[in-house]
Amino acid sequence: MYQCKDIADEVNSYIDGALPLTKRVGLFFHLLLCSCCRNYLQQIRTTISVITVSHPKERDNTDTKALAQHLHALCKHDH
Amino acid sequence: MKFFFKPKTRDEQHLIQRLIDGDQHAFEQVVSEYHNIMLSVARAIVGEAFADEVVQEAWVSAIKALPKFEGRSSLKTWLVHIASNGAKSRVRRENRHVSLDEGWESVSADKFDNIGHRFDDIYAWDNETPEAILANEQLQSIIESSFQQLPALQRAALTLYDMEGIKMEEICNILDISASNLRVLLHRARTTLHHSIEQYQDNEK
Repeated sequence: MYQCKDIADEVNSYIDGALPLTKRVGLFFHLLLCSCCRNYLQQIRTTISVITVSHPKERDNTDTKALAQHLHALCKHDH
Repeated sequence: MKFFFKPKTRDEQHLIQRLIDGDQHAFEQVVSEYHNIMLSVARAIVGEAFADEVVQEAWVSAIKALPKFEGRSSLKTWLVHIASNGAKSRVRRENRHVSLDEGWESVSADKFDNIGHRFDDIYAWDNETPEAILANEQLQSIIESSFQQLPALQRAALTLYDMEGIKMEEICNILDISASNLRVLLHRARTTLHHSIEQYQDNEK
């Protein structure tokens, strides 16, 4: 019988469909019975959507315009 | 349900042709679109110190090889692979090793009793939709800062899978990690970001 801790450990693999069927079904039955874990699952799904929508970026100080100009010059020279 | 991007569109073919023809704006477009993701991959493989140099070299290699680009993958995937290969060569030269456990703090075990039941109740968030969450500027800044504090491998996994929609198998190849390690990285990165949103929501109550 799966418990709340199993949901916490496997929630991301559950969402990504990366679990074997028996485990997936076991977690599903726990979710049917446990409203806390249903809320937790929903919070993780929302977190993933937030990441996808907000698209946070790497810290980067590169002058991309200067880099593009450098590559452009290189291309004209080479091709 | 996860959506993956199609490998190549007509727009992309046009963009590649403009690059080959030496269109300055096309260069600005690809650099501004793909530099950050290439940097993310390089940092994950070779670390902060060498990543900038590796990505600059990757750009030069890519531009030189552009006329031979056959379009079997998307331009993004092709560029990411060039950055990844450059970073892997650099790792071999520098003999550097990035640990999967760098910066990871496990979910506190004291949240569960000895049979694995939660002690505390979990309630639905007040701001349920991503749009509602992101409408809050303070929360948006917390998410951004929390993302930037993740270890480089976790950031790269999250960027490639959740933001760029690249398939797991391809990501394992790019980052040179196993599928189970990728799942661990995604789990840790998402859990950390979930904590930062959760803490904010709890403090607001």
